[in-house]
Amino acid sequence: MIQVKNLYKEYCVAQKGKGLGGTVKALFKNEKKIIKAVNGLDFHVGSGEIVGFIGPNGSGKSTTIKMMTGILTPTSGEVLIDGRDITKQRKEVVNDIGVVFGQRTQLNWDLRLEESFELLRHIYRIDKKEYNETLAVMDSILGIHELLNKPVRQMSLGQRVKGDLAAAMLHSPKVLFLDEPTIGLDVGSKFALRKFIKEINAIRGTTVILTTHDLGDIQELCERLIIINNGVMMEDGNLSEIVERIAPYRTLVVEYYDSEVPSHPKAEIISVSDNIVRYKFMKSEITAAALISDLSATKPIKDVGIEEAGIDEIIKIAYTTKTTDGN
Amino acid sequence: MLNGRLDKYLYICKIRMIRSFTYKFEVYGNILMQSIIMITTAFFWKALFKNETFENGVTADSMMTYTVMSAALSVMFTTGVERRIQQSVEKGSIATDMMRPVNVFGIFLAEDIGNLIALIVQNLFPILLIGSLLIKVPVIVSLSAIPMFVGSLFLSMAINWLLAAIFGMWAFTAISMDALFQVKKHLIRLLSGSIIPIWFFPAWLSDILNLLPFVYIYQLPLDIYIGSATNDEICRRMLIQLVWVLVLATLYYLLSKKVLKKVMVQGG
Ligand SMILES: Nc1ncnc2c1ncn2[C@@H]1O[C@H](COP(=O)(O)OP(=O)(O)OP(=O)(O)O)[C@@H](O)[C@H]1O
Ligand SMILES: [Mg+2]
Repeated sequence: MIQVKNLYKEYCVAQKGKGLGGTVKALFKNEKKIIKAVNGLDFHVGSGEIVGFIGPNGSGKSTTIKMMTGILTPTSGEVLIDGRDITKQRKEVVNDIGVVFGQRTQLNWDLRLEESFELLRHIYRIDKKEYNETLAVMDSILGIHELLNKPVRQMSLGQRVKGDLAAAMLHSPKVLFLDEPTIGLDVGSKFALRKFIKEINAIRGTTVILTTHDLGDIQELCERLIIINNGVMMEDGNLSEIVERIAPYRTLVVEYYDSEVPSHPKAEIISVSDNIVRYKFMKSEITAAALISDLSATKPIKDVGIEEAGIDEIIKIAYTTKTTDGN
Repeated sequence: MLNGRLDKYLYICKIRMIRSFTYKFEVYGNILMQSIIMITTAFFWKALFKNETFENGVTADSMMTYTVMSAALSVMFTTGVERRIQQSVEKGSIATDMMRPVNVFGIFLAEDIGNLIALIVQNLFPILLIGSLLIKVPVIVSLSAIPMFVGSLFLSMAINWLLAAIFGMWAFTAISMDALFQVKKHLIRLLSGSIIPIWFFPAWLSDILNLLPFVYIYQLPLDIYIGSATNDEICRRMLIQLVWVLVLATLYYLLSKKVLKKVMVQGG
């Protein structure tokens, strides 16, 4: 469905020196600085996948999304949507893609939501019957019916994002790109949005690529994660695989009746407080059940619990390892 | 569905027209401004002519027609394209619009046409009415001049719009575009014979102006309207007008390619 090949993007920005001297100098000589935002990305996304595209601030996510949607021309490399090059065959490909930027709306401020939709219906030449059907589906998932008569400028952020989502789906694109769609939304709106993504993926088979800094989004939506940093791919795989690879351990929390704590050759004690001990162990070396039974054989146990490496922990590790150069 | 390809632009034109009809305040302000300019110029010409006839057969009376029609035409030469280019570059929507199956400049043109229709109804007719009541009913010199007047008016509007679009694209690198837009608007009125017909300028100046596109915006249709030029002369000047449309259209086309490319490389 989407093929990204050896993608690079360099921004060229005019560099202005500090203070008055720098400003004056900039008038005569334009010092250019090159920012390497995306550095050789290569990946493939299959039809019907939901892919979470994550990375720290400034890692090149939005830049990549813009190149994948044909808004930005890559410095080199190519993006193929359904085998067609987005820069060379943009006019054909645009009918197959929809985009929502959480940070800025694509709806017309001055129009009522319904007018914006009608405008898109004309632009994409959507048949009236099909349009009404799609709108009904969107309404059933997002509940946008009561928003239709509202001018976009009067909408709250959550309402506007819903409007943007519905607008992006009107022409039934095969691929939906979402750049931080949940930014600034409350719990309820986030929930509605996740439900929306899951449902269009299930009902319409829409391929979804989303960037987010929200761990809940990642956990609930993304079967597959692509983690980038400094424009370079760090990890690509499904969540549990990545967890397995970069944090192949668990933590066993044991509460004893007194403060004399036993150790175990295959587990490392990472903290002791009062009578509670945390043992970190490799899944490959010992199972949790074996560890518990070994420990209870030496000393009576009051309570146990198992902690997986948290997703935020995983991401933190992924962001910091393998980083070749600093920001 | 008139034509599948044009349908979207017609719709854009329509919603823009409906919106323009709701901006009442701007309308009254514009009518007031135009009327003041119109009446002042009319008094000025009356005082200057005092029933004399100018060399090319222009009388004080036909100058009144010229003044009223000039005010009327200035309504038709209103464009929003410069501002729209500025806004969409600032907001970055020029980039996101590009992933839609639609031509960004086609949208701007459709909007301007929609706005024009609203302006004709809301501003043009009141101004003509005020002019007719207070100054003179502006009657065209002869019925046979109508097709030529209409034809050259269309070409005038094309030149005017293309100039605005080119200017808007060029200006998007400048710092304060608002000031530039104002300067351009008044410069056009001055250089185009809208306020002072260029036959009043010294010969060397009017020779230069005749080579520039501006006189083909106001002066030519107005000359045809009041009959201050021979048919031969009109034909010759309409040909130059047409050449200007072609030149500006080419320039516009090349520039719009360049601007869009630049937006796509720099990132919206
Ligand atoms: N139009 C631009 N001109 C110059 N540099 C840019 C431009 N857009 C982005 N950059 C730079 O490119 C790098 C990547 O930016 P990008 O917006 O792709 O990051 P991101 O991963 O989306 O970050 P965030 O999580 O904060 O949204 C940053 O260093 C940024 O400063
Ligand atoms: Mg971003």
